[in-house]
Amino acid sequence: MQTENPEYNSGYKKVLLFGTLSAILVAVFIASLFTGTVNIPVSEIIRILAGSEASRPEWGIIITDLRIPRAMTALLAGTGLSVSGLLMQTVFRNPLAGPYVLGISAGASLGVATVVMGFSFISGKTGLSQPGTWYMVMAAWAGSGLVLMLILLVSFRVRDIMTILILGIMFGSATGAMVNVMQYFSTESMLKSFMIWTMGSLGGVTSGQLRIMVPAVGGGLLLSFASVKLLNAMLLGENYSRSLGMNVTMARILVFFSTSLLAGTITAFCGPIAFVGIAVPHLSRLLFRNADHAVLLPATMLTGGIVMLGSDIIARLPGLESSLPINSVTALLGIPVVIWIVIRNQKITGIF
Amino acid sequence: MYSNSQILRTENISIGFSGRKNSSGEIFRNISVSAGKSELVALFGPNGIGKSTLLRSLVRLLSPLSGNILLFNKDITTLSGNDLARMVGFVSTETVYVNNLKVYDLVSLGRYPYTNWMGRLLPGDREKVEDAMNMVGISSMKHRYINQLSDGERQRTMIARTLAQDTNIIVLDEPTAFLDLPNKYEVIHLLHKLASERSRTIVFSTHDLNIAIQEADKIWLMLPDGIYQGSPEDLILEGSFGKMFQHTNLLFNTSRGDFRVKRKPRGSIGLRGPKTEVRWTRNALERIGYQVVHQKEEKTMITINDESGKRIWEMTGKGETKIFYSVYALCGFLTGNI
Repeated sequence: MQTENPEYNSGYKKVLLFGTLSAILVAVFIASLFTGTVNIPVSEIIRILAGSEASRPEWGIIITDLRIPRAMTALLAGTGLSVSGLLMQTVFRNPLAGPYVLGISAGASLGVATVVMGFSFISGKTGLSQPGTWYMVMAAWAGSGLVLMLILLVSFRVRDIMTILILGIMFGSATGAMVNVMQYFSTESMLKSFMIWTMGSLGGVTSGQLRIMVPAVGGGLLLSFASVKLLNAMLLGENYSRSLGMNVTMARILVFFSTSLLAGTITAFCGPIAFVGIAVPHLSRLLFRNADHAVLLPATMLTGGIVMLGSDIIARLPGLESSLPINSVTALLGIPVVIWIVIRNQKITGIF
Repeated sequence: MYSNSQILRTENISIGFSGRKNSSGEIFRNISVSAGKSELVALFGPNGIGKSTLLRSLVRLLSPLSGNILLFNKDITTLSGNDLARMVGFVSTETVYVNNLKVYDLVSLGRYPYTNWMGRLLPGDREKVEDAMNMVGISSMKHRYINQLSDGERQRTMIARTLAQDTNIIVLDEPTAFLDLPNKYEVIHLLHKLASERSRTIVFSTHDLNIAIQEADKIWLMLPDGIYQGSPEDLILEGSFGKMFQHTNLLFNTSRGDFRVKRKPRGSIGLRGPKTEVRWTRNALERIGYQVVHQKEEKTMITINDESGKRIWEMTGKGETKIFYSVYALCGFLTGNI
């Protein structure tokens, strides 16, 4: 925007932005503990967080077993999905790429649909179909893992990144079609529990499941930090990154793997959450006006955490009988952001 | 350390795309060319003959279908990606569109083969980056975003990136393609300076023959019947350029070193006067189809005189004399348009 830029000035601005974002993140995290369908007095929440007994025992249970895991889940989902969106936008050099362009959510849906509609149809059990059960998580993970394997196989053989993108979309459509067939043959109640899964939920993750989710998402984030240099070179396109000595195939595989670990895990536990992954990286680019992934990656994590925790607070605003589906909130918040970006930049190719 | 032809050499390579099983994707064969230390080499040839393919083969973005490419006497296929990146820098025709990328960050990506896994720039790296920006004259815009640059500035930034990469060989695919004339000259002159002052071996493809003849130490001329190499002057004297447009409407003028459109002559005309005036009047007369001769006894004769600071063109012929005050008026009369 401006051209004054003495070096210290932009560095100072960066520190200020990171500080502000971190403060906001802490604030929304705490605010998230205070919001919910059950009204708990502020003084009681502080007492519970301080480790003492609440005057009503169920309040303590709500905070420690429901709200804290939920806020943690929102934080993980927000950071993880946003980072995987950033990785995909850079690898595909496409501003509209997101965590799901490789067909990861479609793969997860196939897994979940198989468990919810196929398996429970055969066994007659319906207990499996509650969102957040281990069966569903494992099925979603297996489904997205399957798509990942296909994508990795393709990337070893195909060099053109656009071909990989198209194949990812094709795999997604194929698995989507299979899910449709299953939906057609399933009963109403099964269909409903599948639909609820597709709406996304941050509340179904137990603290036991968090013990899996934290290391998986953490591992994905670490891998992304390890690929900062590769991502920066990828901005220049395949030929330039190759001429800089980068092994393009291996770099892509590393990035695809961390994306799948992030998006696959989050989708497995929370369902496919839309738009955060596409919109948040653009938000952080607008805030920082920087293309360096060493800056963009932490910026996207902070922004993603804030957006997801904020959306979750909106979904559970006081006065609502039960919480809104998180997918609708993120979409309603994300779509204006995407529209704003498109209109503001006019030319879609120059969005980064 | 190395003899002059050992920096970059191809041995009988054929280039193209190995694709379908039964159809050969060969584009050009039997290429044996070389480039020496501190040499600026211009690759010249008609559209579609395979200049880009050759350049991409030299930087190993494509493998030659047969034959060897040697850099410092080492077969290019035996080098690791990182070693190659420390030997050869590449500027392609692709424009990098990244909104939030600053000039400094783009140039410092040239340090990629030298930095650690995080891409951290050490003081030595920063020095190289600053030096590269100084060399091409973009230091003052290092904090600007690349999409705010003009085409010329952007091209110089891309060149600075390869300088930061600190390679002995730099390969550029049509670095002057989108530039206006002054920028074309400046970029090629910059390449010439880098070759001679920084002892780089620079190979670039171009369609600007005039600039290439003036600035290049060596020309690789790709023609349908083979590839010729030599100093521009050698190729002119051997008549190699003339072959380039043999079957077209163009003629290579050996004494001037450029191409002219072949025209049906309208007739011949004599011309005399001061040197510069004669040169440009002749240019105009040839454009409208006259052959200019220097004999005095020509039916039509034009004499350029300087009359108290004002040029006049005096045309005599068929017993009458006409005076014109500009080349435009003279041509207008001759073509009958005025």
